[in-house]
Amino acid sequence: MEATAKSNFTGHDEHVAPKRASVFWRPTSKTGLMSWLTTVDHKRIGFLYGVFALFFFIVGGLEALLIRLQLAVPNNDLLSAQQYNELFTMHGTTMIFLAIMPLSAAFFNFMIPLQIGARDVAFPRLNSFSLWTFVAGAAIINLGWFMKAGAPDAGWFGYAPLTSSTYSPDHSIDMWVMGLQLLGVASIAASLNFIVTIINMRAPGMTMMRLPVFTWMALFTSFLLILSFPAITIALVELMMDRLFGTNFFEVSNGGMPILWQHLFWIFGHPEVYILILPAMGVISEILPTFSRKPLFGYPIVVFSGAIIGFMGFTVWSHHMFTTGMGTVATAAFALATMAIAVPTGVKIFNWIGTLWGGHLQMRTPMMFALGFIWMFMVGGFSGIMHSAAPADAQQQDSYFVVAHFHYVLIGGSLFGLLAAIHYWFPLMFGRIVSEFWGKLSFWIIFTGFNITFFPMHFLGLNGMPRRTFTYDSNLGWNTPNFIATIGALILGVGIAIYFITIVYTYFKGQKIGRDPWDARTLEWSLPCPPPEYNFAVIPKVHARDAFWYEKQHKEEIAKENAAQAKEDKAHGGIHMPFASIYPLVASIGLLVAGIGISALDHNKLIVSIIGGVIMVAGIFLWAHEGNEGYHMHADKEEKS
Amino acid sequence: MSHSPATADHGDEENKFQIYIKIAMLLAVITGIEIVFIFLPFPIWLIVTVLVVLSTVKFMYVIFYFMHLKWDKPFCTILFFIGMVLAGGTTWALLLIFGAKDSVPLHSVSTLANYFVG
Amino acid sequence: MSSHADTIDHHHDHTTTTGIPNKKLVMWAFLASDCMFFGVLIATHMIYRLYPPPGAPDPMDIFSIELTSFSTFILLMSSLMMALAVNAIQKNNLKSMRLSLLTTVFFGAIFLGCQVYEFQHFVYAKHLTLTNSIFGSTFYTLTGTHGTHVAIGVFWLILMYVRSFQPAAGIKDKGWFWRGLIHIAAVIGVVIFSMFAVIGLTHTLQAGEGFGAFLSHDFGLLIGLAVTTALSFYLARPRGPVAFGEANAIDVESMGLYWHFVDIVWIVIFTAVYLLEYL
Repeated sequence: MEATAKSNFTGHDEHVAPKRASVFWRPTSKTGLMSWLTTVDHKRIGFLYGVFALFFFIVGGLEALLIRLQLAVPNNDLLSAQQYNELFTMHGTTMIFLAIMPLSAAFFNFMIPLQIGARDVAFPRLNSFSLWTFVAGAAIINLGWFMKAGAPDAGWFGYAPLTSSTYSPDHSIDMWVMGLQLLGVASIAASLNFIVTIINMRAPGMTMMRLPVFTWMALFTSFLLILSFPAITIALVELMMDRLFGTNFFEVSNGGMPILWQHLFWIFGHPEVYILILPAMGVISEILPTFSRKPLFGYPIVVFSGAIIGFMGFTVWSHHMFTTGMGTVATAAFALATMAIAVPTGVKIFNWIGTLWGGHLQMRTPMMFALGFIWMFMVGGFSGIMHSAAPADAQQQDSYFVVAHFHYVLIGGSLFGLLAAIHYWFPLMFGRIVSEFWGKLSFWIIFTGFNITFFPMHFLGLNGMPRRTFTYDSNLGWNTPNFIATIGALILGVGIAIYFITIVYTYFKGQKIGRDPWDARTLEWSLPCPPPEYNFAVIPKVHARDAFWYEKQHKEEIAKENAAQAKEDKAHGGIHMPFASIYPLVASIGLLVAGIGISALDHNKLIVSIIGGVIMVAGIFLWAHEGNEGYHMHADKEEKS
Repeated sequence: MSHSPATADHGDEENKFQIYIKIAMLLAVITGIEIVFIFLPFPIWLIVTVLVVLSTVKFMYVIFYFMHLKWDKPFCTILFFIGMVLAGGTTWALLLIFGAKDSVPLHSVSTLANYFVG
Repeated sequence: MSSHADTIDHHHDHTTTTGIPNKKLVMWAFLASDCMFFGVLIATHMIYRLYPPPGAPDPMDIFSIELTSFSTFILLMSSLMMALAVNAIQKNNLKSMRLSLLTTVFFGAIFLGCQVYEFQHFVYAKHLTLTNSIFGSTFYTLTGTHGTHVAIGVFWLILMYVRSFQPAAGIKDKGWFWRGLIHIAAVIGVVIFSMFAVIGLTHTLQAGEGFGAFLSHDFGLLIGLAVTTALSFYLARPRGPVAFGEANAIDVESMGLYWHFVDIVWIVIFTAVYLLEYL
């Protein structure tokens, strides 16, 4: 039965699912709540990741504003110490796990298949499972706000023995642990999917060295995720067993060593920061060539540096522990490795500058954020190098100098990259382009506010202000920088607000555009904006790096190739699309129920956990049994040209 | 247990069955050797080395033959070795750090005396 | 995706860029991740064995090398059976695959049984619990996590075995799934009744009584054994074409990779946790 393709957010289809036992019914609606809950379309899943990420970004931002308001003046009593602890814990956890990572995941989901010339990821239902498990994890982490236990309050890094049941007797830490475990499951599942997709589902002619750099960085990020998350999984398992079953992993009186928590956490935690920055670096490596009207300078070296950064990220974890007394040899070894990791990072920066050099620069909004990224990330890198010298770090550790460093790399780096990506890919995803004026205005206010907030923190740190303290006395010389930082935070908040209002407005009422508004270089721009559900009417043959640029220079050759491929596809029945499915959602709900049972309840823990487990197993079982058949369709005639 | 000849893609196909049986017997024998070896009066460093080597041999036979890596595309081997080498390296680094003099826990009374001496 | 009508190439998937089937690639990537998972857990155990606190239990008083060697050998044999199962289905030999899968389940279940016995022996006879020492915490968590992986594997193997009975499309056989589960339950019944019958026979002979005494004592067990054996064979008799063949070899192979991985982790645990203590 022929079905026509419409824009992926509208329309309905008439294809028929096979008659099976009712439990194997396949959802067929393309609109409405059910279609969103059961979608396996990578573009819709990416969109959902983005919506949740932006929501939690606002939550994390409000948490930050409260922190800054509390610290604006000495001896402030806006927040109690307990509330302050919950806020900085949740701010860190939310921004890292519920904002930046899912925002990166949103772009991985949307763009990877488009950049490699595929119709979807390798395992579409696993993709859906990752999304909903992420939502479940986010829910459990934030449950504490609504419960007597309160939100988690032991820092985003949850050091033992503070997180032991002796010192954190209520459920807030249990929910933090359980939420993170679910997020880990979601991340690993998604990363496995992306690895197989990038390796195994490239269009003909798309060799690895013709891949867009964003896809390469996605591949490295996925490797980092699957290899680093197991460490925190085990650390969290050990902590949970200490809390629930009285084991002695971090219980000193029975031979445990809390320092082990720090090691295991940072074996994950350091690769995690590269997980946060590599996607942004990938975005920048797409935007700079597009808006410099030149290919990326030194493509192989940029890719290779990404790989080196990824690998070396596993060798430097104890630079977070220079002041824990590991001994001279260990400290020196990690200091050396940390200094070394600056080299491939610097190489990338030189290559980006090389890309800009001699280019015909177009200062559009994505370019502004990209240039801001290069500069601000460098500043963060400089303070990072200062940390790598262990003697200097002995003063800087646990001071505001560290806070300045990581906000420069995370906001100036990761966030700027992702804000750039939103502007850059907005036209592709939604068919509308963001106003230059409002985009640039939001950039300048964000840039200004961000620097006013965090630059003074370098001085606060060098002058001894410690982290994670809810107030400070007025005679320590910290008053003015703190006040300035708070003003900066408010400006930053205004900038973010303008940014958000702008993109929401543009989504509904922005100026519509046709194809390829930026005259870009990579395959995703060869599609209509927004792309149809099946992505490519005809899977392209790739002839060179910057595959779309080649297509634009060789229009006739490409048109002939596509026509021939289209004929062949039609003879084989057209485009094959997967059915939607409810079972990944069911499995995630099972995990949610089990997670709540284990971590949030006082009574009936076991029975609720078992019920959750049964739901999860049933979901997976039915998922396996419903089969991975799909349906065939033909592209709209108009899409074929 | 029967196995059909004929549909061979490459030469080892018919012999895979035999190969698996032989390797299983080899693994059993190696395990037996390990168990006997620990009771023999050799220096500890030698026993540890032999055990590590024998375990590695078993490990490699299982992954290259039972898990088919020998006959599969090299990328599968590379992928798995990345995880294995990283895990091994991390374990080794952790043991070095925790084994260092500075990391001896205070409750190890005898070693506490050594700490002040050495 | 349907495969060609001619022979399936189990070593090259022409629909993927590298020729490696997606399911195989994802399993290898997952196993690389699981290496880090077990690596960190084993590291935790070994770290805590470097400087045991005073009064710590001595593994030499607790471990039983005979039991552990036996279960190691059993797991190795289950790995062999798994490899043979994959080999069989790649040659479309369904009966051979089913038998090999069943034997894999059998050996895996024995391994689990040995581990359960070991744990309860350590807790009750040797007084090593999860909470009364750091050694207990790390030992039970590490070997317990491995055991959980084995249990998940056994569960998966049972489901794959039952799946191999799914009737081909168009054949009416609604109850095949539950019949498959009852078949497995009957097989487990055979194992349990045999075990108890052997134990019963041993006790009778040790007490100096004859075979007749055994028959009168444990007649119920023998009836149970006969019934479950007959039920197993009856429920597994062929009922027509099934929707399982060479095309499903990739699923059995992926499952096999997981099972072998659990075996190699045990190779490492056996050396690092048990054998090294004997030095």
